[in-house]
Amino acid sequence: MITFAVLAVVLVIGALGVVLLRQPVHAALSLVGTLLTLAVVFVTLEAHFLAAIQVIVYGGAIMVLFLFVIMLLNLQEEATKTRAAYRWIAYVVGVVAAAAIATGALLDPRQAPDALAVSDALRGGSPELIAQVLFGEFMLAFQLVGVLLLTAMVGAVALVQRQAETPGAR
Amino acid sequence: MATEYYVALSALIFAIGAVGVLTRRSAIMIFLSVELMLNAANLALVAYARHWAAAGTLVGITGQTAVFIILAVAAAEVAVGLGILVTIFRRRISTNVDNLSEVRL
Repeated sequence: MITFAVLAVVLVIGALGVVLLRQPVHAALSLVGTLLTLAVVFVTLEAHFLAAIQVIVYGGAIMVLFLFVIMLLNLQEEATKTRAAYRWIAYVVGVVAAAAIATGALLDPRQAPDALAVSDALRGGSPELIAQVLFGEFMLAFQLVGVLLLTAMVGAVALVQRQAETPGAR
Repeated sequence: MATEYYVALSALIFAIGAVGVLTRRSAIMIFLSVELMLNAANLALVAYARHWAAAGTLVGITGQTAVFIILAVAAAEVAVGLGILVTIFRRRISTNVDNLSEVRL
């Protein structure tokens, strides 16, 4: 209970930091903190392997890419702000959406699943079990992700390539 | 901890990410907020994976495998998205999405 409360507070503060901090680098570092906290939440949910992957892929690879681009482009804080009316509409939309889903979830209380049965069934979300589903039920999705990654790779290279061909095309 | 608290937390983070997408003007900040929303969805999936674990090992682990797929898709999305961002920045010296209004149909 206390663990969840602490993790939830840290997660929400980190998420608010991503949205509210004006310097892109600060926001990205706040997101790194949020993602690492989320990895801890995954551990409390018996998903140890996913927690490791979360740290390596999200906290490592993806966020390094973000920070690299922010520093490469030397992005500063935004010069203009969104019009106040639009900003308040966005805040209201966010609060209403969060409140709606949260009350929907909390109005449907269930017993916390038996910890022993869960750890017996999931075995800490072991790679062995994930592989069984990934290469069984999720085979089509797995192959499509392979195609997607190849497409993304070709796309990323093509984007840079066109730049190299037309250097003076500003 | 019961599942609904995790789902409520996930909803809260998703909404914060959505507000970020709606209010920020820099394309890279919008990207960061989208990552936040993806992670909120992952949290809900993992919470439900634990919730349904009692119904059978493979039923429970399916949720965690879906998170795996989402991770791969997010990585691909970031690679292409940041590539586009760098290309736009080189041409316009700005990542403000308001300056890109002619991109829409």
